[in-house]
Amino acid sequence: MSRQSETALIIGAGLQGCSIALFLARAGWNVTLLDKNVAGRHASSVNAGGLRMLMRDWREYPLSQRAMEHWVHLDRLVGEKAADACEVRLGVSQIGLALDEAEMSWAVGRAEDMKKRGLGEEELLSREDVRTLLPGVSENALGGLISRRDGHANPAAATRAFREAAVAAGARIVENCRVLGLERVRGGGWRAETSFGQHEGGVLINCGGAWGARVAAMAGQTLPLKTVAPSMMVTARTQPFLTPVVIGIDRPLSFKQSAVGSLVIGGGILGKPCPDQDTSFTVMDRMPQSAAATLEAFPALAHVPVLRTWTGLEGATPDGIPVIGPGQGTPDLWHVFGFCGHGFQLSPAVGEAVAKSLVSGTLEATLAPFDCGRFASRVAA
Amino acid sequence: MTQATDMRPSVPMDADIIIVGCGPAGMTAAIELAEANRSVIVLDMQPTPGGQIFRNLEDNISQQSSDRQALLAALGPAYRAGADLIRRFRASSRIDYRPLTTVWEVRPDGTVGWLRGMDAGYLRATTVILAHGAMERPVPFPGWTLPGVMTAGSVQTLLKAGNLKPTGNVVLAGTGPLLLLLATQLHKLGVKPTLIARTDRFSDGLRAMRYLRRNGLLPVVKGLGWLAQLKRSGVRMTSGVSDLAAEGERKVEAVSFTVKGRRVRQPCDLLVVHDGIVPAIDIPNGAGLALQWDQTNASWRPRTTSDGLASSALPPDLQPERCVVRITGDARRIGGAEATIAHGRLTAQAILAELRKGDGISSKSQQAVDRTLSVRPFLDAAFPPGLSAKLPDDNTIVCRCEELTAGALREKIRAGFGNMDALRGETRCGMGPCQGRNCMITAARLIEEDRGACGSTPPVFRGRPPIRPLPLGALAGLTGLDPSATELLTLEDKPEHDVEATSDVPAE
Repeated sequence: MSRQSETALIIGAGLQGCSIALFLARAGWNVTLLDKNVAGRHASSVNAGGLRMLMRDWREYPLSQRAMEHWVHLDRLVGEKAADACEVRLGVSQIGLALDEAEMSWAVGRAEDMKKRGLGEEELLSREDVRTLLPGVSENALGGLISRRDGHANPAAATRAFREAAVAAGARIVENCRVLGLERVRGGGWRAETSFGQHEGGVLINCGGAWGARVAAMAGQTLPLKTVAPSMMVTARTQPFLTPVVIGIDRPLSFKQSAVGSLVIGGGILGKPCPDQDTSFTVMDRMPQSAAATLEAFPALAHVPVLRTWTGLEGATPDGIPVIGPGQGTPDLWHVFGFCGHGFQLSPAVGEAVAKSLVSGTLEATLAPFDCGRFASRVAA
Repeated sequence: MTQATDMRPSVPMDADIIIVGCGPAGMTAAIELAEANRSVIVLDMQPTPGGQIFRNLEDNISQQSSDRQALLAALGPAYRAGADLIRRFRASSRIDYRPLTTVWEVRPDGTVGWLRGMDAGYLRATTVILAHGAMERPVPFPGWTLPGVMTAGSVQTLLKAGNLKPTGNVVLAGTGPLLLLLATQLHKLGVKPTLIARTDRFSDGLRAMRYLRRNGLLPVVKGLGWLAQLKRSGVRMTSGVSDLAAEGERKVEAVSFTVKGRRVRQPCDLLVVHDGIVPAIDIPNGAGLALQWDQTNASWRPRTTSDGLASSALPPDLQPERCVVRITGDARRIGGAEATIAHGRLTAQAILAELRKGDGISSKSQQAVDRTLSVRPFLDAAFPPGLSAKLPDDNTIVCRCEELTAGALREKIRAGFGNMDALRGETRCGMGPCQGRNCMITAARLIEEDRGACGSTPPVFRGRPPIRPLPLGALAGLTGLDPSATELLTLEDKPEHDVEATSDVPAE
């Protein structure tokens, strides 16, 4: 083995990068994380913090199930104090609300489908069920799907917890360090030329998030990725009335009430991404559709004022699930990005599976669907 | 990726000019433009024209009751002076005046988001004038969030709009002409302040003398008149105070401060504070316009040309071809009613020249601006920022919406959150209903304190719409949308049914 064996250089100190670093460092690896901003500055800490298995792509399900176990026992991963700070609320459930016949029949089909696959976390809800679970829900609500174990956490605190746990395990984080170029090291491994000197690692892990395809390109690999800017709205505080997270089926709706009473409204409405400036902008012209979807579900909220909007940068792949695995013909270069707006919940399981795969030299089965190779033909075409 | 050309609205214009704010600057510009046959929409939050300075003037003049007459007498000739301007504004049929309308977004391309009741929409014009005025400098000090602590501006608003007078033991603290004017007005209304605790010193006044200009003498004489009157009436006044604190359990019971090395405590029922007036930058910052730091006034103001043209500070791919926003009045630079009228006219003339109408900026207008602003250097020197001069101690609340102390912010800044947006994301500072209007300046200064920076431009939160609360129902029915921008782009992650492929379920 080369002198660089069991050393990893991770580009991007977001939640995925920090989670991988944590598991690798615990396995005794020497890990360096490079981040062009501060760790977790982008999608990791500004997402809605959903811990959702509901309505996931079935290919993500096993990974998501494993992640849920980690979230339940987060103290074992990051320590008791940090886990407390993460405000993990599981078991409040997430509900996919059907507001018309088409959505309801989709929900019925989905429930059957998942049952057939043996991935049965999702139960069908009747009209009466949603009325009981969601006070104030519209008369038009026909039912829906529920995943009872689901919930949410504080994304900023979670990102910090994983970061600090990784550092405590021995990982090194270099912030404000922009990667300018990547090259192979003779005898194995990779070298990154950065705004902060040179860094090397036996394995290079690209956790570049919205910038993942750019990092891949620096290593000579082409992967399809769209930079998007999912937007959210936050309202003034209202009386507590809603515990579950409510998401739309065909509507741009994702809706929860925070601990302080404000309503956090998302649903994947996109703003304008400005990845070159490390920022993004909300487009209010698109928000009426989000507001309308919210009022369709909860008509009584019309007078609740929206206080602010926010967006963050995220990478989206063509098929809606991330790439996780070695690049084509490069076992020492891994790509872990493109979480398409729903990577927060997966992160502990991603870190674990990636680290296990690297340590054992055998790809974990849960990662099989996320192979970069699935885009090979598209890229060639 | 977005192209710059996408930024041009693809929908028709609603007017030649949209003016935000119906104070002296906005009204003057509107009249000038309407007289030149331009179509003008004026959006204003208040129910009647006048802005803060001429607030509720029409009503107060039209009422004959003796207490209104007493109020008018106390508010003085400077208040009455707006009557003619308001009459001319009301008389102009080309001005589409829309009161009780809140602006929650402005874009450099001339798009303005408005809200009235439960109706909201976008309007577009070839030019937008921001004449939204000023705000009082936010002053976090121990106890400033207690009931019974108010700012001078809010007390004056209650006087003008509701003829509401404070009762009991009133203490005024801080600095600036408005503080002394309010004290005089209260006294005329029979409310004798117990104490005026000024942060400015005799030496500030002396130093200011060298900025006295002949054109600026009149306001100075007026101010000296207020001082003489307060003195004659035996109102206690002390200067050079520092370390102000409001004390009390459920409401303010006393005020304490340090003067000449001694701690003084004064019981009171109402503590009125004022630390000068600064341009309100929430709309310009939300619009992505460039700001500049005014060292003398320790405040931001929009960066504009002398005739008010602002510039966009948005990233290149979000920049419109041309920034069509102009800023006038106290929103651009603090000057008071006369200065805002002068600059409102000048801005209108500059716009007309751009539209190839009118003769451009007249020398008379330019002289009026220079003359009305000539007292500013004196006032800046005589009344330097006081209550806010020293950064608050760790226990003092900085962000009142989210109840965050200076200590909590300092801790996060030291931990590496030295970027305003990162600090906001981490602490929620500036995320409440005020959207940073009250806390942004202190948060920025705390970051500067940590960096040891001085003289630089403190950083700002990135302004995001809506900059004022917008009800969900109003937002859902938003009108005037630009079809090219509304095209719904969503992150599609609803999974497909794939019943055929159940065999290759990954094993856990």
